Amino acid sequence: MRLLFLFSLTYLVTEEDLISAEAGMPQLDPTYWASQGFWLILIFSILYLVISKFFIPRIKNNLEVRENKIKNDLDEAKNLKELAEKKEAEYMKLISEAKKEVTKNFIDTKKKLINDLNFKKESIEKEINKELEKTQKDINELKKDSINSINIIAEGIASKIIHDISGDKLNESSIKAVVSDTSKRKIGEYL
Amino acid sequence: MATNPMHQFNVYRIGPEVNIAGVDLSFTNSSLFMLISALTICIFLFLATKEKKLIPGKLQLTAELFYNFIAKMISDTAGSKAKPYFPFIFSLFMFVLLCNMVGMLPYSFTVTSHIIVTLILALFIFISVTFIGFLKHGFKYLKIFVPSGVPVLLLPLITVIEIISYLSRPVSLSVRLFANMMAGHTMLKVFGGFVISLGLIGGWLPLTFSVALTGLEILVAFLQAYVFAILTCIYLNDALNLHH
Repeated sequence: MRLLFLFSLTYLVTEEDLISAEAGMPQLDPTYWASQGFWLILIFSILYLVISKFFIPRIKNNLEVRENKIKNDLDEAKNLKELAEKKEAEYMKLISEAKKEVTKNFIDTKKKLINDLNFKKESIEKEINKELEKTQKDINELKKDSINSINIIAEGIASKIIHDISGDKLNESSIKAVVSDTSKRKIGEYL
Repeated sequence: MATNPMHQFNVYRIGPEVNIAGVDLSFTNSSLFMLISALTICIFLFLATKEKKLIPGKLQLTAELFYNFIAKMISDTAGSKAKPYFPFIFSLFMFVLLCNMVGMLPYSFTVTSHIIVTLILALFIFISVTFIGFLKHGFKYLKIFVPSGVPVLLLPLITVIEIISYLSRPVSLSVRLFANMMAGHTMLKVFGGFVISLGLIGGWLPLTFSVALTGLEILVAFLQAYVFAILTCIYLNDALNLHH
């Protein structure tokens, strides 16, 4: 950089034309200083006013709008995430509760069914027993009845046979005694 | 005198001569290029802010980039107290940048290569900053010349140095921009002259330099606008937040 500058300075000095009055620095010629100052102040003031009153609020406003939008979006996303998490937790709770309930229901139902079954079994058994007893009783009574009726029939037949064979009429009570005796002895073989 | 590298800095009148109270306030090529720079800024910002899109287009993004760049620069160097001066720093940066950049176009005029222009800007900044300093801190602002933690023996010397450095601010600020612009454009012109004078055979080397220097000058144009704006911020910081 310095070398280049020295180079150009040497060029400036060695070129004869440039040493003339015109080759001085126009910057140091005060002819248009006032004009430059006046126009600089005028143009820069207007530029400053336009920028500060018009452009900067617009850029600032737009940047703020964007920042707010981003912030709002982020907030909303956060809220939604929280909501989703909450809902998920609720859902999980619901599911676990449902599972618990199902298990409970299952166990309850099972218990109830077993109880029911046992109860029914018992009552049926009871009924069966009752029926059995009743039937047993009926049979016993029937047996008794049948023995009596057999005895009566046997007495009738015996007296008839005796009457037919011998023509005698035997004492009823003796026949009865013989029949009951025989039936007592032999009835067990048939009943 | 087309080969005179200083010729490009000549100021001449355009249109009628305007004389107000014996002072020549004619419209010159300098005024024209100031106007062009200012209008370019306005058109650019107008187009950039015309559509307020949530997802910005290229122009809008560029304008927002400038806005954020300067907002960050101010908050980094001068803190939140400097926020009311944002429009001024923004305008200053854009104006100096555009003047420098428009000056890079061939046959154009570089407004900021004139010491009077940069000096007026620097003086305005210097006076405003001093005014703001006194307004915010009253006479305590004079403490800026008396750094704390300096041995009593050295204090008179340091104070004198501080006063000189404070008063030289407008000079350094204006000369930095002016000298950079002038030197760069002079050099470009000199190398351009070499290309012509060395002709088809020898002109290639200076042409290469010329191309490289153009790139460098565009960098310098941006850098000097940035330096001008950041130094304004630093001076503003001194006035707003009294550190000494």
